Amino acid sequence: MYADQRTVMKNVQLVGVLERMCQELELTDIQFELAKSRYEGVGRWFADAEDPLISMIAIYLQGSTAIGTTVKPIASYEHDVDLVAHVPEPDYIISPAALKAAIGDRLRANGHYASLLEEMGRCWRLNYANEFHLDITPSVPNPGCYRGGELVPDKALRAWSASNPKGYKVLFLERAKLMPQIRLTKSIIAADSMRSHVEAYPEQVGFKGILPRTVQLSKRHRDIHFQDIDPCLAPISVIVTTLASKSYEFCVRNRMYDGELDLLCDVIRNMPLFIQVDDSSGLRQWFIWNETTDNENFAEKWNADPRRARAFYSWQSRLLTDIEGLTQLEELDVLSKRLGSAFGQASASRALDGMMETVSTARRAGRLLAAPALGLGVSAFPASTAVRANTFFGSDD
Amino acid sequence: MILGRRRALTASQQFLSLQSNELSAGCGDLHAGALVWRCDVTPSPLSRFYRLRIEFRQGDTPAVFVESPGLNLLADGRRLPHVYLQYPPRLCLYLPRTFEWLPWMRIDRTIVPWAVLWLFYYEEWLASNEWKGGGEHPHAPEVETRSSKRLRIRTAAMRSNELLEADGLV
Repeated sequence: MYADQRTVMKNVQLVGVLERMCQELELTDIQFELAKSRYEGVGRWFADAEDPLISMIAIYLQGSTAIGTTVKPIASYEHDVDLVAHVPEPDYIISPAALKAAIGDRLRANGHYASLLEEMGRCWRLNYANEFHLDITPSVPNPGCYRGGELVPDKALRAWSASNPKGYKVLFLERAKLMPQIRLTKSIIAADSMRSHVEAYPEQVGFKGILPRTVQLSKRHRDIHFQDIDPCLAPISVIVTTLASKSYEFCVRNRMYDGELDLLCDVIRNMPLFIQVDDSSGLRQWFIWNETTDNENFAEKWNADPRRARAFYSWQSRLLTDIEGLTQLEELDVLSKRLGSAFGQASASRALDGMMETVSTARRAGRLLAAPALGLGVSAFPASTAVRANTFFGSDD
Repeated sequence: MILGRRRALTASQQFLSLQSNELSAGCGDLHAGALVWRCDVTPSPLSRFYRLRIEFRQGDTPAVFVESPGLNLLADGRRLPHVYLQYPPRLCLYLPRTFEWLPWMRIDRTIVPWAVLWLFYYEEWLASNEWKGGGEHPHAPEVETRSSKRLRIRTAAMRSNELLEADGLV
């Protein structure tokens, strides 16, 4: 009788642990607000420029900060906050190098920004030590893109290349809103009868959104996985994000699930379906198209170095094995180790500490209950027994 | 003292409550004023099931052992925290000579949930090597003795209200 409830609560708790881990990894609300006020400051500094090219610049978020999938880099304390400095109506055809130089000149003209400024290949970086850095990439409209795309410098800063940060964000957020279909199984019926218990447990956290959490967990797993192999072979974030979002849409539109973890695993499992493989030239080529503009293949580098493609497939299968493995575990200590090796020990420990703290807080408040097959919690089940105050003792022998 | 008037539960009363509580569902023997009870408990849905053996002789304090899985084996050579005995592991669940456990209290509503709590912190200790369940050890430094005094005062205050409501076979 308790087996179904145990399965349901197990998934609820696992989701809670993964959710806490993602919260640990992402930009906090305070950091986000701080970053926002900083880049708005940059925007005002541009607006005050005499050069109309600079004063008309609109500055906005792109990438993971824009879509809520940030993950703290392992090697540093600083988050990347990616921004676009978009010139909406350039009066003349300007080269990427010239626009980048003009933006750099304007930033240097401000003593504060000058001291934080660092030049990168195709963008400018403002380094806020121990917080985040703002990467500012120049952009102009793409007259050839009917989807409202933009042009950003290519790697060599020689030509403009197609991109569509705004369109990408809109598409991602639309997909993230798609609701999965949950199958009515025994465990769900059990979950339903337990819904009030789960909801009454304020410390039990569900996923903020399955798609953004899938992306964050995948990116973090990738960072840890490639740390000891070769970080240069790791799939870039936009590949992980694009495949996850396409797979998520496919999964929620076509399939039914037993729960959030089940869906999370399936989204990861189906990621490779959205890589277009072409063997017609005799040489295998990979394509992961940006659906929001033409001619942007996120997998371009794979075609120059096929090791990257192989690295992707082996990482993706490892990620799936690791996450599926979590659902099989029945040992908190083993869970801690597995989470640690997959996502980093510090984040795993903090996520589990959150769960320990939930129990310890309820214990101090005298609200802790123990239920058969479910263990400790604050939700009252018919067979719950209150856990009275106690002090663990010990002996030297 | 009101508490003093509470009658200690007999071994058969304790046996009956252990039998009737689903948390301690299991089986055991009752013989000549003493009981042995075995039940499987789990501290969380993400945890193992553990086989407990509870021994109680009327007039004495209950002893709780974990029969399986082997706690020492899982600890991989480390000494177990908060036990009376390393092998077989006998859990130290409450402060003796305070009011945390008294003979009128039901084992299934005190000792068993405490054992579940102990196992919860134990599993986490296996991973972190840090006991997060608090507590005291004998021969502890003075600071802890003071906290133990505080605890006695607190417990004494509690017994008049909360503990008196303790349901049971009294």
